[in-house]
Amino acid sequence: MMARFTNKILAIAFALVVITGTRALAQEVTTELTTHSTDATFSSTASYTFDVRSTYNKTQSGTVKYVVTTEAGKKMKSDSVNVNIGPHSSASYNFDISGLQSGFYKVNFMINVSDYDDTTKRAFGIKPQEVRSQHAKPSDFEAFWNNSKAELAKVDPEFKVTEMPDSSKDNRNVYLVEMKSLGGMTIRGWLTEPKTKNKKKKFAIMLALPGYQVDLMPLYGVDPDIAILSLNIRGQGNSRDVINVRKETFITLGIEDKNKYVLRGAIMDCVRAVDFIFTRPELRHDNIIAVGGSLGGFLAIATSSVDKRINFCSAANPILSDVRELQYQVDWPFIDIRKYVNTRPGLTYDHVLNNMDYFDSKNFASTIQCRTLVGMGMLDNIAPPNTVQVLYNGIPADKHLIIFRDLAHEIGKKYVVYEGRWMRDTFALF
Amino acid sequence: MILFVAANGVSYADGGFPVRPGRLLLAPSVSYFWANSGWDQNGVKAPFADNGRFSSVGTTLYGEYGISRKFAVVASLPLVFNRYTSASNPPVTSSGLADLETGLRYYLANIDFIYYFSLQATAITPMYSNNPSLGYGEEGGELKLAFSGTGHLGSLTTYFNAADGVRQYFGTNGPIQNRYNATFGISLDSDYENQVSATVSGIYSQSDDKRFSAIPETNKDFSFLQASIGFGHSFTRETSLFLSGGRFLTGRNTGVGTSVSLAFIYRLDYR
Repeated sequence: MMARFTNKILAIAFALVVITGTRALAQEVTTELTTHSTDATFSSTASYTFDVRSTYNKTQSGTVKYVVTTEAGKKMKSDSVNVNIGPHSSASYNFDISGLQSGFYKVNFMINVSDYDDTTKRAFGIKPQEVRSQHAKPSDFEAFWNNSKAELAKVDPEFKVTEMPDSSKDNRNVYLVEMKSLGGMTIRGWLTEPKTKNKKKKFAIMLALPGYQVDLMPLYGVDPDIAILSLNIRGQGNSRDVINVRKETFITLGIEDKNKYVLRGAIMDCVRAVDFIFTRPELRHDNIIAVGGSLGGFLAIATSSVDKRINFCSAANPILSDVRELQYQVDWPFIDIRKYVNTRPGLTYDHVLNNMDYFDSKNFASTIQCRTLVGMGMLDNIAPPNTVQVLYNGIPADKHLIIFRDLAHEIGKKYVVYEGRWMRDTFALF
Repeated sequence: MILFVAANGVSYADGGFPVRPGRLLLAPSVSYFWANSGWDQNGVKAPFADNGRFSSVGTTLYGEYGISRKFAVVASLPLVFNRYTSASNPPVTSSGLADLETGLRYYLANIDFIYYFSLQATAITPMYSNNPSLGYGEEGGELKLAFSGTGHLGSLTTYFNAADGVRQYFGTNGPIQNRYNATFGISLDSDYENQVSATVSGIYSQSDDKRFSAIPETNKDFSFLQASIGFGHSFTRETSLFLSGGRFLTGRNTGVGTSVSLAFIYRLDYR
């Protein structure tokens, strides 16, 4: 009994020694990078402060440096300072990066001292309002899409609406919507409408468009003024009757022929969804907002461009903008496209790029007439900021851009809140 | 929905917030106002002569309707029952419809869809004749700028309204008035079912007619500052009730008024 008690005491004492020792040994260097702009855009000189804090018992010597590259990786500037950070002390280093032309740049801040190495990755913009694409859109771009719409118009939509009472929640009725789109393909979506006793009530309608290979389900919410149509374009979600391919294959489907490319059909699926909205008397046909992120952002931009019945466009992190520059800046989807080209005898990458011009989101942007909100992640490695900015700058309509300085391929709550407020104001849902 | 008490009447104002097109808001209300002392021309407070006491019961029908994204029409029609009693004289009473107010509100601008500005032009039309205890009996016009916004206090939603209007009555010695109010309100729950608010409001009225009467409607050259608090409860999205009470804090050439009011608010969307 006594021995067991002694063992417990020893175990506790040992644990205390270990904990105390670990704390005493917990020496570290921590860093913090401060961007002197809330959205990391600057009129001429990018300004940063790099703070270093050391809890080591000895001086930490070495360098703090930065390297600026273009989004495509070309080195533009670098600088370094020698540092000596005393025991249990901190230091701050200011960096002003000047002499850069308008555009977006990646910047890596690196610390290399006696007992610590680290890299902090950021991006910034210089005079973003001046950023323009160097690549014109095809002269027959509008004609191509007018022909596509004409082809869609020949397809009997065969709209079918099925109430799904088991899916009803948040005081909303839920309907499965089916329709025929380009090529006679069946596509589906989910319509949710607030329940109301007011027979005169009409709802503004949010057309929610999917990200890449995302299966959109019914979207709910307690807003009594908004109905939501979440659409699954061909090859996604419950619209896979004909196209049901692996994730990496979807983006290359039919890319060798712009008239057969999967995104042509996908954009026409969105137009067909607008056709459906116009068949519903309980929906406001002049209060349609197209919303999406990533591929959904691309689809929102494209649909708003080719279908002027859209009244408000909200595109977060829209992909495939300024494709001829994008190919040097991101891996996806060009890795998959190159692989596809290599498996198709006679098909060239240049030919595919020529086709991609008809699906370049910045080419759609220039004919958007409705109010448009765009969201950008400064660290986005799928929709890099310069490509999103090119798209944004090309929009001739009333527009607003929200930049998230420290986010990648995503947007923050601020965007969603602003989208809701601007939409309600636009649709006079005071 | 903000309610504020001005003199012994009850007014409603959404302040700077725009009105939804096709939305009809009707707000019948009842209020009780009383005063047994007043401030003279120098702001010196004293009881009414001969133990006098003025009281008034008012019922007002307020309505507003959004006719487009930018424009809304507003109207209010008060019906009042005034009574003045004193120790040595029989009670003096008068009643009837008072001044009809009809106006057009214009949604001026917003800042980030959080702060809203509106401009409202209002015509004042007396619904009586030769009854000074119901009002000046003069037509008038008012131009009002309002500023409203929403915010947060911890997890609670807040709102504010601030408005300033200049009103001119067009008759003999028709006063020119500055009417102002500022309200801060807090929703007590996330469903906006209950809210409390605090309001300061006042009128600064100037005229060559410096006479004083315990009946506020009669005075043309006066001023007061009032503080009031209110509580609102929403039963449904369409119906709510608002209870408020207020007291004059300072004044000149006016009674030391106290008031309570109860308003029923009904909203219906017609589009």
